[in-house]
Amino acid sequence: MIAAALPGAEVEVIDETGNGDHLRATVKAPQFEGLSRIDQHRLVKAAVKERFDDGTIHALSVKTAT
Amino acid sequence: MADPELKSKVEELIGANPVLLFMKGTPEMPRCGFSMRVVQVLDSLDVEYGAIDVLPALQPLREVTTEIADWQTFPQLYVNGELVGGADIVEEMFDSGELAEALGVEQPEAPAPTAGPPAQSPPLQIE
Repeated sequence: MIAAALPGAEVEVIDETGNGDHLRATVKAPQFEGLSRIDQHRLVKAAVKERFDDGTIHALSVKTAT
Repeated sequence: MADPELKSKVEELIGANPVLLFMKGTPEMPRCGFSMRVVQVLDSLDVEYGAIDVLPALQPLREVTTEIADWQTFPQLYVNGELVGGADIVEEMFDSGELAEALGVEQPEAPAPTAGPPAQSPPLQIE
């Protein structure tokens, strides 16, 4: 889902609890170039917003890199 | 839509406090692990900050911050009127020294509070 929203991104997602609802994502994307961290995180969160809204995900830790 | 009165109050607070933390609980008694981590970072930087407990009005405040900063989760740290981030970003920026720079303070020499358990005495041994 993140990769689809950010073409060319390298995405690694770790399921922290084994239930699939508390996730940790490391995202490296060319789109992050020149953006502040907060804007990078906004992009990632926007990409998965649907899953938050429908309750599939409760928590997502994000680490971004360019 | 966010309550306009609450929104203008929040904007006023963000404008009036150079460093402002919206958190769950208080710095003395955080009610959420993420909020606690941000408090620990700010305390270790020895920086003065305002703190607002969002728990009494969680949903209305969420609507406000969504409108003003496009951010839904707490904690949220604002520096000079701008949202810096939540716990993940604050810790990352603390570790890299960027947060101290943004706040205009010295990076402490001590390791980050979350870097690992404090030094402990050696385990007891049973002879």
